[in-house]
Amino acid sequence: MTSVEPSEIRLSPGLLTIAAGLVAWQALSLFFPPVIFPGPWTLLQRMAAIYSDPASYAVVAQTLRRIFEGFAIAMVAGTAFGLLMGLKRDVELFFDTWIMVLLTVPAVCWAFLSVLWFGISDIAPILTIVLIVFPFVVINIWEGTKAMDKDLMEMGSVYRADRSLMFRKVIIPQLMPYIFSSLRIALSLSWKIALVAEAFGAGDGIGQKLINWFQDTRVDMMLAWGVSFMIVMVLVDVLAFRLWARRMFDWRPQLAT
Amino acid sequence: MALGARSIDRTHLRPQPTVRPGPTLSTAIAVHNLTKTFSKPGTETQFVVLDDISLSVEEGKFVTIVGPSGCGKSTLLNIIAGIERYDTGSVQLSPRRGSPTHQPRVGYVFQSPRLLNWLTTAGNIEFALEAQNVPGQQWKERVTRQLEMVGLGGQERNYPLRLSGGMQQRVAIARALAIEPDILLMDEPFSHLDAITARKMRFDLMEILAKARPTILFVTHDLAEAVFLSDRIYMMKTNPARIFKEVAIDLPRPRKPEDPALLDLEKNLVQEFFGVLEGTG
Repeated sequence: MTSVEPSEIRLSPGLLTIAAGLVAWQALSLFFPPVIFPGPWTLLQRMAAIYSDPASYAVVAQTLRRIFEGFAIAMVAGTAFGLLMGLKRDVELFFDTWIMVLLTVPAVCWAFLSVLWFGISDIAPILTIVLIVFPFVVINIWEGTKAMDKDLMEMGSVYRADRSLMFRKVIIPQLMPYIFSSLRIALSLSWKIALVAEAFGAGDGIGQKLINWFQDTRVDMMLAWGVSFMIVMVLVDVLAFRLWARRMFDWRPQLAT
Repeated sequence: MALGARSIDRTHLRPQPTVRPGPTLSTAIAVHNLTKTFSKPGTETQFVVLDDISLSVEEGKFVTIVGPSGCGKSTLLNIIAGIERYDTGSVQLSPRRGSPTHQPRVGYVFQSPRLLNWLTTAGNIEFALEAQNVPGQQWKERVTRQLEMVGLGGQERNYPLRLSGGMQQRVAIARALAIEPDILLMDEPFSHLDAITARKMRFDLMEILAKARPTILFVTHDLAEAVFLSDRIYMMKTNPARIFKEVAIDLPRPRKPEDPALLDLEKNLVQEFFGVLEGTG
C-alpha cells in the first residue's frame, strides 16, 4: 500500500456529478426489477459474470474482427475514392450525387438488405458497415482535398516533384487531420452498426447476444454487454488514435508544448 | 545556336509553336513577344495578362522586373518556371551548365515561404533535392551548407512553424539554392517581411549570391530594392501589361542603400515610373 497525500485527494466537479448520478441511478433502480431497470451495482455484477466467462472473449473477438474488417475496407476504399473525387474533376462530377444518395440510405435498410442478399453470415454485417461508413469517409477526405493549399502544390511542381513525392510529402500530410477524423468517425460508426447488423444477420457476436437477451427481456444483461463493449471501443480510440495523433502532429507548435 | 548553345524549348506549353532565334551563348533566359490572355470564367471578356513581353537575362546577372501589383509579374515568372501556359511568343532557357541536353535547374523563392510545415527545415530542403533527383549521399552536406549560408546553421531538425517569418523565408532561399540552380526566380521574396528584416535579408542575399552565382530574375514593386540589388531593371505597367523601359544599373558592388548615386538613380526612376503609371509621362 502506498500512502496518499491529503492534497492529492481532490474532488473535481466532474467526479462529483458522476457520483451523484450513480447514487440517483441506484436509488431509482430500487423501484424496478433488475431485468427491466438494473442499478449500477447489479450492472457491475453482470459485467463481472461476463468477464469471468471465457466464452465471452470469443464472442467479443468475433465482433471486433467484423468491425475491423468492415472499418478497414471502408477506410481504404473511402480514402482512395475521396482522393480521386478531390483531385479529378470528372470523377467528382460523376459521383457527387451518388455519394449523397448513399449517405441518405438508413442504416437499418442496409442491414436488412444485406441479410436478404447474403443470409445469416459474416458478409452481411461487414457489408453493412462498409456501405454505411464508406460515404462518410469519402466526403471527409474529399473536403480535405478541397482545403489543400494550392500554393504548396505549385511549389511542388516548380521543383518538379513527381507524383509519388507529391503524394508522400505534400498531399497526404495535408490530409492527415481529415484522415484522422475519418478514422475516428468510421470506427465509432462501425461498432454501432456492427451490433445492429449482427443482431439481424450474423448468428453470433455481441449483436446476437443483445438480441437474445432482448427476447428474454433481460435489460440487465443487454446493458452489461453493451457497456462492456463500449469500454473496449473507448480504449481502442484512446490508445490507437489519440496517442498516435499526438505524435503525428508534433510539428504543430500548439500541440508540441 | 550551333556551338553547344542549344536551348531548351518550352514550346510544348503552348498551342501554336512559332520558331524564334535561340538565345546567344551567354543568355540564360530569353523571352520573345510573350502574350497571355485570360478569360474570366463565365464571361466573354478577355483579360490581357501579358502583352508582347520581350526580355533577356544574361548568365550570372541579376535582373529585376519592377511593376505595380497585378501587372502580371508573377505570371511571367510562373511561365518561365514552366508551370503556367502562354498564348503566343516564346520562352527559352539555356541548358544546364556543363550538360547541354538537360533542362536547367530552376530555383524559385515565392512571396510567402511555402514550406511544408510537417517537415523539418532539413526535410524541406531534401524535398527539393529529391524532386530534382540529386543523389541521396549529397543531401546531408548540401542541407548543412545551405542552412549555414542563410544563417540558420544547426536548425536542421527544427520545424518551420517554430521559426520567425524571416527565418522561414531564409529556409525557402536555402531550399532554392540547395538544388544549385542555374536560374533563380524570386517573386517579391521580402515583401512580407518587416522593413528591418527585409533590409538585412537583402544584404545577406547579396553576400550569398557573391558565392553561388546563379542567374536571377527578381520581381518586386519596390524600386529602391530593385536599384540596390540589380544589374538591370525592366519596368512594367498595367493596362496593357507591358515592359516600357529597361535600365542598366552600372554602380559598383558591394553597394550601400544610402549611396547618393543609387538614391539619385532611384529618384529619377521613381519620377519616370509614376509618370507612366499615372499617364503624365
